[in-house]
Amino acid sequence: MYREKIEKILPSVQKPARYIGGEHGSVVKDKNKVSVRFAFCFPDTYDVGMSHLGMKILYGLKNSVDDYWCERVFQPEPDYEQKMREEGILLYGLESLEPIKDFDFIGFTLQYELSYTNVLNMLDLAGVPLHARDRKDLSPIVVAGGPCVCNPEPLADFFDIFILGEGEKVNLELMELYKTMKEKGAGKEEFLLNAAKIEGVYVPGFYDFEYNCDGTVKSCTPNRNGVPERVRKRVIEDLDSVYYPDDFVVPFTKIVHDRAVVEVLRGCIRGCRFCQAGFIYRPFREKSVDTIKRNTKDLCKSTGYEEVSLSSLSTSDHTRVNELLAELVDYTKDEQISLSLPSLRVDNFSEEVLNKISTVRKSGLTFAPEAGTQRLRNVINKNVSEEEIMRSCKIAFEGGYTSVKLYFMLGLPTETMEDIEGMADTAHKIIDLFYSIPKEKRGKGSVSVSISCATFVPKPFTPFEFEPQATRQEVTEKQEHLISCLKTRKIKASWHDYNVSLLEAALARGDRRLGAVIEKAWRRGCKMDSWDEYFKPDIWWKTFEDLNIDPEFYACRKRDYSEVFAWDHLDYMVSKSFFIRENKLAHEAKTTPNCKEKCSGCGVKKECGGVYCGGK
Amino acid sequence: MEENRFDRRITFSKSGRAVYISHLDLMRTMQRAFKRAGLPIWYTQGFNPHAYIMFPLALSLGISSNVEIMDASLTEDIPCDEVTKMLNSALPTGLKIIKTAIPVKKHTAIKKAEYEIILNAGESDFNEFISREKIEIKKKTKKSYEKLIDIKPDIEVLGLRCTGGELFISVRLPAGCGLNINPSVLIEAFSEFTGEIYTAKVSRTRILDQNGEEYC
Repeated sequence: MYREKIEKILPSVQKPARYIGGEHGSVVKDKNKVSVRFAFCFPDTYDVGMSHLGMKILYGLKNSVDDYWCERVFQPEPDYEQKMREEGILLYGLESLEPIKDFDFIGFTLQYELSYTNVLNMLDLAGVPLHARDRKDLSPIVVAGGPCVCNPEPLADFFDIFILGEGEKVNLELMELYKTMKEKGAGKEEFLLNAAKIEGVYVPGFYDFEYNCDGTVKSCTPNRNGVPERVRKRVIEDLDSVYYPDDFVVPFTKIVHDRAVVEVLRGCIRGCRFCQAGFIYRPFREKSVDTIKRNTKDLCKSTGYEEVSLSSLSTSDHTRVNELLAELVDYTKDEQISLSLPSLRVDNFSEEVLNKISTVRKSGLTFAPEAGTQRLRNVINKNVSEEEIMRSCKIAFEGGYTSVKLYFMLGLPTETMEDIEGMADTAHKIIDLFYSIPKEKRGKGSVSVSISCATFVPKPFTPFEFEPQATRQEVTEKQEHLISCLKTRKIKASWHDYNVSLLEAALARGDRRLGAVIEKAWRRGCKMDSWDEYFKPDIWWKTFEDLNIDPEFYACRKRDYSEVFAWDHLDYMVSKSFFIRENKLAHEAKTTPNCKEKCSGCGVKKECGGVYCGGK
Repeated sequence: MEENRFDRRITFSKSGRAVYISHLDLMRTMQRAFKRAGLPIWYTQGFNPHAYIMFPLALSLGISSNVEIMDASLTEDIPCDEVTKMLNSALPTGLKIIKTAIPVKKHTAIKKAEYEIILNAGESDFNEFISREKIEIKKKTKKSYEKLIDIKPDIEVLGLRCTGGELFISVRLPAGCGLNINPSVLIEAFSEFTGEIYTAKVSRTRILDQNGEEYC
């Protein structure tokens, strides 16, 4: 019945295969034989969401339990959304093609702040009341996980539950609890009270915020008995025994990353001070070479993909990276599968590693020095030196590469014009290096360097959570200065729209008062904000103004070490006192050793399975 | 014929959710299915080797069929029935291999295809439409201006019946690398004639050579 309505409009939209399911690996169950139905929503389009590893893991995990059925849901492209609204088709799961409003759980993954309006849009398209308080029944329970949940307060009004940290165990515990409560006929309040006792489960409705006269947070306190004062994230201790899918849903249409993906490690030892992922995913844990190999073979075999990619924050930090690559290259070569390694670091980029990649495929080379001078790199604790970049570039040029991409951030704490000039210098030196190599030894043709410059966005749970974001004027001046420093057309510079960075910064460190802004902006037509062609900054700023809320209060204000933050009641294991210590060191341009060299006492306990935790 | 290359002509059906797989996506889908099935696909020997799988006659998005043809080459002489079985174990829902054979005719031998069209229309309307002297459609030419062409001589209506408010049209149209008329063109022309908008279900039922014999 529903399917007929859907099929009626499919022929009139772009790439309809994205809206009808049926892909290899998609799981269809008998709805009468399952007790909990979960709609896994990615608040962006199919092409983006289907590339996301976390969804593949949790989809496979939930469906591995006979009694649960997890389906995929995405934000439709505007052409399809319009047709759906015209025909009265509610947002549905791709497996059953049934409306998700009738499911037990509607779960979102919050990967980036600019997807928040899509969350509201999808709830609306599903025919589900936006506000948690307007959903009185036990189902659907609206939940969210993912990195942005480390400060979920801007979305607190709309969610029943946030899941903190890694989801493999807590998701199943939550569904099990739900099943029990549903069987005994419990109401929503009773379910949530019990859920709040599970480690990693944060029920925002059970906490009240108070604010100071200056607009900062005064306190966040539980309003129910038996609810923890601070909610701690979940960590999987052993990556070798935790669930990992042996098959993926293989899309018909082309998506952003259309390949098998194998996770090799979680967490990062580096402690770059701007990087939220480097702190919220601690401790550093890795899979054994055998597990990675097995995952690779299983996935390639069952999906039929011709490309496999290794996923991590820094693959070369795996303690046995050379052995790992040697084994994987052997396997993939035999099977005519290409191997891609997206996260290799400059500082241990060896000739050996380069040769291994180039036996498979030669593409552009990317480095992320992040800052233009050694001083500023020390400030951000990005321990990459110019010599290392040059050494790696030399190896790369001699190996036939001719294009280099450099990632920098602009607007970092303590940054001066000298640091901006440093970016241009680095690029010029790379060009000179290329021409210093004899013609017959380097790659053919001309060299090109592209500088990609993101505006720095201070994030919660980093040593820079206290820092102001650079203002629009500062950023513009620095961008202009960078352009004036570039002396050759072989170097190209690009950056993001400042409006995007400012909105991201305000939402990232925002509090519950931003919920009204997000809702109103969405009602006024804001959605798909991460897409340049749909982003409407004017509506956003007008909405902030109409609601008398200043985005710069959240984004561009220097915060005291003593300030209470909207995320202080969430425990990501790394302590605030560590962040304060790191912030002070940053202002002295002093670096902190990585976890492998020396434990710096960030607060993560040994029991969590960290390779280097506990002074090992 | 190269050494270690074994050609297979595979007849398959495309129905249900799979009718929304586009021609280009179908190529990728089949490649992956071969890989999953463990069938050793033969790679072209050029500068940029690629798996040899091809579809001599494209099927438009939304149309179902029981007679689709896919040509593929293997590096091992795997029996036809085995190929059918192995591929079927690896295909997504809606795609099913009906039979595998050794190719007989060249791709250029395809001249006609037959379709069954189910429309929410009246029989008399269609009879009036189809018995006109000319049925003209707009066709974009290479120089990008529209040209009117008469498709009347190319349409062979094989059967017409009306059941339960639905009109079943059985029709034979030119197909292949020469003249190719998509059934949607016919439906559009009919729609323009009556001023009604139709929801149509179309399926391809036969692929034929110049003698009206089954393409194989």
